[in-house]
Amino acid sequence: MASEARGFTLEWALYTVIFIVVSSVILGYLAQSIARVFKLSKAEQRKVFWGFTFAGPWIVGFLIFVLGPALASFYYSFTDYKLGEEIKWIGLDNYRRLLLSEGRQGRQFNTSMLNSFYYALLGVPLQISAALAMAILLNKDIRGIRIFRMIFYMPVILAGGPAILLAWRYMLASNGGFVNEAMRKLADTFFVFDYLYRLFIYLMEAFNGFYIGIMRGDPLGPLKYTMPAFIATLLLLALARGEWSKGKRVLAWRGAQLIGIAISFWLVAKGLTRQPINPAWIWAGGGVALASILALAYHNRREVLYVQIATLISVVAVAGLALDHADFELAGSEAWRYLIPLAAVGAAVGASLAGRWTRPKVAALWAVTGLFGLIVLASLAPDQFDRGRLEILTRYLTFGSTIKHKADLDYLQTTYPAWLASAVWFYGLAVASLLGVALLDTHYPRARRAVVTGALVFFALITAGSLLDGWRYFDAFLDVARAAGKPNYHFALFHEAVAEFPDKTRVPLWMNSELWSKPSLILITMWSSGTGMLIFLAALKGVPRALYEAAEVDGASAIQRFFRITLPMISPAMFYNVVIGMIAALQTFESIYILQTPLTRDSLSSAAFLLYSRTFTELRIGEGAAMSWILVAIILTLTILQFRYSRSWVHYES
Amino acid sequence: MKRVLIFALVLVMSILAVVPSAAPSPAEARQDKVLEIYITGLTEDTMAWFNDVAFPAFEADHPGVTCEILTGGWGDFDVTVAGWITTSEGPDIIYLGSEYAATYGDLLMDLDSYFAEWADWEQYLPAAVDTVTYDGHIRGLPLLMSPRPIFYRSDLMVGEAPLTFADALEFAKANTIIEDNAAKQWAFMDIGNDLFDAQEFIAYIWSAGGELYNEDGTSAFDSPEVAEAMQYMYDRRRIMRPTEDTAGLPPIEGTALESGMVISGIFPMWAVPATSDPIWDNVAIEPYPAGENGAPLIQVFIDWLSVPAYAQDPELAVEFLKFIGSQDNAIALKDVAGFTPTRQDAWEQIKATDPVWSKLLDVTVEYGRAFSDIRASAELRPLIFEQMTLYLTDQQSLEDTQQMLKEEYDYILEENGYLD
Repeated sequence: MASEARGFTLEWALYTVIFIVVSSVILGYLAQSIARVFKLSKAEQRKVFWGFTFAGPWIVGFLIFVLGPALASFYYSFTDYKLGEEIKWIGLDNYRRLLLSEGRQGRQFNTSMLNSFYYALLGVPLQISAALAMAILLNKDIRGIRIFRMIFYMPVILAGGPAILLAWRYMLASNGGFVNEAMRKLADTFFVFDYLYRLFIYLMEAFNGFYIGIMRGDPLGPLKYTMPAFIATLLLLALARGEWSKGKRVLAWRGAQLIGIAISFWLVAKGLTRQPINPAWIWAGGGVALASILALAYHNRREVLYVQIATLISVVAVAGLALDHADFELAGSEAWRYLIPLAAVGAAVGASLAGRWTRPKVAALWAVTGLFGLIVLASLAPDQFDRGRLEILTRYLTFGSTIKHKADLDYLQTTYPAWLASAVWFYGLAVASLLGVALLDTHYPRARRAVVTGALVFFALITAGSLLDGWRYFDAFLDVARAAGKPNYHFALFHEAVAEFPDKTRVPLWMNSELWSKPSLILITMWSSGTGMLIFLAALKGVPRALYEAAEVDGASAIQRFFRITLPMISPAMFYNVVIGMIAALQTFESIYILQTPLTRDSLSSAAFLLYSRTFTELRIGEGAAMSWILVAIILTLTILQFRYSRSWVHYES
Repeated sequence: MKRVLIFALVLVMSILAVVPSAAPSPAEARQDKVLEIYITGLTEDTMAWFNDVAFPAFEADHPGVTCEILTGGWGDFDVTVAGWITTSEGPDIIYLGSEYAATYGDLLMDLDSYFAEWADWEQYLPAAVDTVTYDGHIRGLPLLMSPRPIFYRSDLMVGEAPLTFADALEFAKANTIIEDNAAKQWAFMDIGNDLFDAQEFIAYIWSAGGELYNEDGTSAFDSPEVAEAMQYMYDRRRIMRPTEDTAGLPPIEGTALESGMVISGIFPMWAVPATSDPIWDNVAIEPYPAGENGAPLIQVFIDWLSVPAYAQDPELAVEFLKFIGSQDNAIALKDVAGFTPTRQDAWEQIKATDPVWSKLLDVTVEYGRAFSDIRASAELRPLIFEQMTLYLTDQQSLEDTQQMLKEEYDYILEENGYLD
């Protein structure tokens, strides 16, 4: 019987080999035919044939095992496909639900994405700092350094293993775990440490409690304006200080670009996935694209071409989607509301592609962009500013309150936010200010200074005003909860955490509380940052000693030498670690799978973990596929952005 | 060189084309049949029993058939089974957990006709038969059961084992010790080594007299019985963890029952000491407490062998199920692997030789309710985790939690075709 099974396996192996050989030869012939079309010489054609024939096995494998499944997954992402049931085409429904946090699936995806960003934005810098600190320590020339290196690297080999993760579970046990016991002993011995330890618990719980409130989608009220206003204030403050320079122009331009990209993503998610599509988003998207094309026109020809092509593809895609989902007759008047902006955007971008960049052409396209902006304002602004919405600006500028019914829970939970303008307007104003400053540059210094100062005062007042009003808003919720004698309705864990300073008995509940589950995971990740350490160590070895010696002669301190020599010289290694760390953080899976409990499952769940659960446990293949493509888009965008902006801080010797 | 290569290819393909097809006749197919059986979490002894005892016996009765066992862990169970079901390519028999009948539904074969004349069905616990039934049709054979009662350390506990929610709260107060904001002793622990689990929540809904579904098939999460079960779980939590920053018990080495820090708990038999351990002289086995209008119960989990719809030879697969489910093999599996048989005529020897198992089987017969007919269970579990976490940690009121559970579960039921 065993020999029969072996024969069966050999038979299949033979067929597989034949298939690979035949398909490789066919591939070689195809390549040769193409070479013939391009009129390559006979010798070149032969080279092409043999080259592709021998590369054939890999290419065939790639097509069958990578490209094929990827295309199938892309198709499934537009379907309602549950295992064992009929596949139904539902267009962008999966994407809309996930991106707009609709229903349970959308809510959980939103939570998981915010968890993933937490790991990426807090975990990666901490992991890199730990790796760099270890590398600097291990770069010392002391006896037995190789043994230390081995010890520090060992967690990388062990970290992913379930046994080690379970050991961490024991070490992080809230009661009797090694970490808490050690901390308690130190706190009992040194009173300063005791105070710092309790302060650490207080701050961590307050921060995580607030973050969980955001994850749950608790209304932020006035605080939703604080973030855009604060970001704009910081950027403008940096621009206002000292003399104007090229670096500042780049900062203004980069700031506008990054915020603009973030808004565009939001607009695309909100606008394109809505059915039927709001024509205002088409005008807005076209305006943003045209502005980007014009801003790039004189600086980067290659990038401008990418934007032009991407915009035209978007126009065609949106037209297809609009017609696919439209609940209007093509011949009816409704159709023109969609077709006109699409045609206008297509025509403007087409015009930008024609001929050379001349002053009249640029001026005409800026005028068209302005027109698009006016159309967007005309269609969206009345809805945004009616019913006294504009008054929030005047209220915040004078530190007044916008809350009208402090004791009404329904008002606080639902009505209040509906009265306010979207935070996108503040992000938009920030982009406009920064773009204005970048364009005015050295050409109109007075106007530039006026814009910087005016915008700085405006955004600083909005930051302070919205922060103050946010405080009142949170207080109102707390008062309602107290009066009702019920659990907190709003940022419950945050209120709980800041209610009183921790007493001596308090310990971090690492694996048992939502407040501590994410920090626990980051702690474990930091422990296993040996790979990053090795890369830093290699980079540190490559920094010429002469540079340090020269700096020492010039009187540079150790800190100055670190920031002025070490960091710039190891920046390529830093860049590599950031990119790889960010991708790994967004794909966190194994540790969550092992460490989660019923109470911490949601607070730990990453996008990759949710994707797994939805696809393989709940068998929702279509939605799982959509999640994976969103994750791909996010990882790809972040990686491209990192590469794009690395030029300003990564220094290569060449 | 190129011509030589092409010539060689043409030659090989011509030979393959000329060679007569090796497709076997149906009789020959059975002769060469390899029956693949997937079972999760087997010990080495159990694997050895299957390979050395059970398979040779079955193969002797079915000449030409070879049995092969595939095994894996619960960790990759969902992915593995989903892969087979998606591709319709996999083992002929698949081992499934208690709630999977509704998950895979019609993707599993209807075996009514194959089992129609099988007299042994009468020996199986009705709860076990319910577990393997979906849409009124039998989808497999119950292989083993895992009753999960509450075990009490009678030598350590203060008071009697409670049979009502009110008494259970008093019991929790009397048997819990909290010092310096950390637990020293807990009156109760659930299967997840903490104070909340989705399966346990469902058990308390049942013991409160409630159900998961209304008569029209919609979710009954808005019922007063569900509210009573939730309130009980919340109150019990607040006794054992007065605030959410109270630290739980220190890590337990060995089983919780032996630790002396846990007075009672819901555990499967593989998470308690061996029944020969003297500790059992001081352990009481009791059902879950009940609500005002409910009755105490014990949750019973049934693991079973299913035949997927893609199976090429269901007749042979069912023959194997009947073989492995025979009285002799049920007893043998209990001896080798510690499986609790689901057929009652296999219990005599167990009851005669093991007083702990005897007591366990008695209370299971009296109070047992199978963990089955949990519709869209894979989606219900995360929903319960999400909403109950909010409620138990003071982030959401009881009413809001009930409303969310009801609305979301109705949506899930509708999406999965359980509601019109």
